[in-house]
Amino acid sequence: MAARGLLLMGQCMPCIKQNASKIRIRRMELDKNLNMYFKKDTFFFAHDPQKLCKTGDVVLIRELPERMTRLITHAVEKVVYPLGDITDPLTGKKVVVGKYREDIEMANQLFGKSAKAFDYDKAPARGRLEGSKDFTHVETYIKYHEDGKEQPHAV
Amino acid sequence: MNKLLTIAQAVPRQFVREYAFKSDLKIKWVRPEKISCIKPEKSGDLGKLPPLHEDELLPEYKDCKELKDANESVQQLFRLSNNANHLTTRYYRDQFVQEVQRHPQDFGSMEAKLAKMTAFIRRYQLHMDAHPRDKMIKVRLKELIDKRKKFLKYLRRWDYPRFEWILEKLDLVYKPPPTHFHWITRKESLQKLTDIYCDKLKEERLEAYHKQLQTQQIPYLEDAINKMQFVRQEQIDCDVPVTVTEQQIEEVRSELAELKKIREVADAAIRKQVDEHFV
Repeated sequence: MAARGLLLMGQCMPCIKQNASKIRIRRMELDKNLNMYFKKDTFFFAHDPQKLCKTGDVVLIRELPERMTRLITHAVEKVVYPLGDITDPLTGKKVVVGKYREDIEMANQLFGKSAKAFDYDKAPARGRLEGSKDFTHVETYIKYHEDGKEQPHAV
Repeated sequence: MNKLLTIAQAVPRQFVREYAFKSDLKIKWVRPEKISCIKPEKSGDLGKLPPLHEDELLPEYKDCKELKDANESVQQLFRLSNNANHLTTRYYRDQFVQEVQRHPQDFGSMEAKLAKMTAFIRRYQLHMDAHPRDKMIKVRLKELIDKRKKFLKYLRRWDYPRFEWILEKLDLVYKPPPTHFHWITRKESLQKLTDIYCDKLKEERLEAYHKQLQTQQIPYLEDAINKMQFVRQEQIDCDVPVTVTEQQIEEVRSELAELKKIREVADAAIRKQVDEHFV
């Protein structure tokens, strides 16, 4: 097991562990009884001290020669697709759903772009709203106890 | 093995009841109060609607020159506050959409839709405060909130920079739904609280033990140096092979010096903190 250095591709999930990211590997498993495929998730913890990947990113992880801790068995190799920031592999242009960002921008220019409209060049890197407005980096829970303190992760 | 058996027999097994177990811990559980899903704290609206200006005219008549020259009673008729309620809602909708739209003709992009929904939601929330039994608006409001949340979810997946921008612009909070739904029960909540209590206790005790071990570190090293010197001297005096070298003693000495230096720095930092606290 140790020397394989197996590469896996999966999606990053919210994780409270420091220096590590929780990666979900999703496979389809055949149920022989029903002759149907069902989703089957396996979770791995990948060593990631610089927090390369954020929740939702599709990443490549490589198996470590020996397990680092009881949980951490892999290391993050590379972020393949950052969530919501997709680059078309053929043309190298940025894509939003079915359109190139350039095309959307061109249409805006033709209609007369509004000064208040969103601009990609001015947008800072992802993660500035973590903990204040955007809570996708943590697992939320249903509030079960009132202790008088603020519980930001409770729903 | 025999020893273990005798110990086991000596200590009678405690009376353990598996069912209806009641904990001795004094943990008080308070059931969180239910917040209606249409309230701003649940819907994620941090901002409020800007207050309506007293002499705000209907948007269609804003640039009318004749209205400006008209007398007061005519102007009163064209004020937003003296007209139907839905016109004020529309006014707010246009204000919100103008803030985010891509170009003046844009009403269908995701951000324009979200802005429109947000204006309606905040307007309906005000209405619900005044008329809590209006079921029609309540249903419409709940559906709008759910739809906006769904759209935010899509926008996050499609275009993250824009998603963050719109959260800031409309002053919204986005919390992903919990992984699984469960009702809040006394038993489960108490179990969770007990787990938290135990973890805290464990951490505290480990911390205390760690501190205790740290206080023993310096006396231990001093003692070790003395003993090593003594053993070395004895070995030299008795003409037996010397197993303790000078180098080993020196290593322990340097270790001690380093440790003392670290402790001094830490103590100074604590003293400084205390001084600042009192000043």
